[in-house]
Amino acid sequence: MPADPNMKILVVDDMSTMRRIVKNILKQLGFNNLEEAENGQEALTKLKADTYGFVVSDWNMPVMMGIDMLRAIRADEKLKKIPVLMVTAEAQKENLMEAVQAGVSNYVVKPFTAETMQEKINKIFK
Amino acid sequence: MAQPQAAAKTQNVVNEDEPAEKAPDTKLYEELGELARFIDTTMKTLSEFSAPVNASTEQLPQAQTHLLNLKTQTEQGTHRVMLEVEAIQDNHAQISKMLKEMTQTFQQAKVSPAFIQQMQTLGQALGQDDKRLLDIMTALSFQDLVAQSVNKLVTILDEVEHKLLQLVVVFGPYQKQAAKTDQGKASEMLKQLEATKNTSMDQDLADEILKQFGFN
Repeated sequence: MPADPNMKILVVDDMSTMRRIVKNILKQLGFNNLEEAENGQEALTKLKADTYGFVVSDWNMPVMMGIDMLRAIRADEKLKKIPVLMVTAEAQKENLMEAVQAGVSNYVVKPFTAETMQEKINKIFK
Repeated sequence: MAQPQAAAKTQNVVNEDEPAEKAPDTKLYEELGELARFIDTTMKTLSEFSAPVNASTEQLPQAQTHLLNLKTQTEQGTHRVMLEVEAIQDNHAQISKMLKEMTQTFQQAKVSPAFIQQMQTLGQALGQDDKRLLDIMTALSFQDLVAQSVNKLVTILDEVEHKLLQLVVVFGPYQKQAAKTDQGKASEMLKQLEATKNTSMDQDLADEILKQFGFN
């Protein structure tokens, strides 16, 4: 199923520059319904309060790490089907394995290009 | 080795019920003198160590502040560039929309096909520049990587400062070796930085691994 350009997307990153970059790329790809959160905890609160179609998240964040947020999403009956794309500098194989085991939908290694992100989004929503 | 002998001798002097007028034990005085010189040399050595260690400890918070300033400056600079890029992107979007509308109007008015072709070429050039702008935007993700490295370095410096203060205040320089066994978070951060340099994946390798888990 192709991605709905009107779906609400949550961009989760503690760095304001990264949130802006990811939002810019998503906007250029045709997604305009974009929200942001600074850490996993804030993201979970937003996810529970509204309906989101997609989450793009960093790994390394204060308060709650991206991987813990992913596990919480997959453990929540209401949220568990939301696709989660990890965009992270945590580029060790162990991190990737951990993310796969936690139920990640796809994984982008920083630094990345807009093409890579588009390709991953297409794969998630194909 | 002189210290226990001297202590034993001192004990003997205290315990033995010797007459006060007995001749002083010259060997005991020699050993006490040796012990005093040893203590004096040790104190000097301690003070020699303390000065540079104290100076280094005092400089570490400054280094941390400089690093955090570096992070803030790169963040501010990155936002400044992003602001300009976004302004150009918005302008391009408007120009692109106007070009399309004008092209349609000219087509309906049966204006020269060569002129319409020129307008379409203009639109394509705008599209190519939009791609470049997006490349500039994504290239700015360097700031996130810089910030993460700076955060790790600040944690390392904090840990080192703590250890140095422990050396100066509690243990003294002679127990440097013992401090090595408890390296804590700083050591872990250094390992992470080193590991990132040596074993981090690029996207191709990540994709290879993802394929093995059925991510096609």
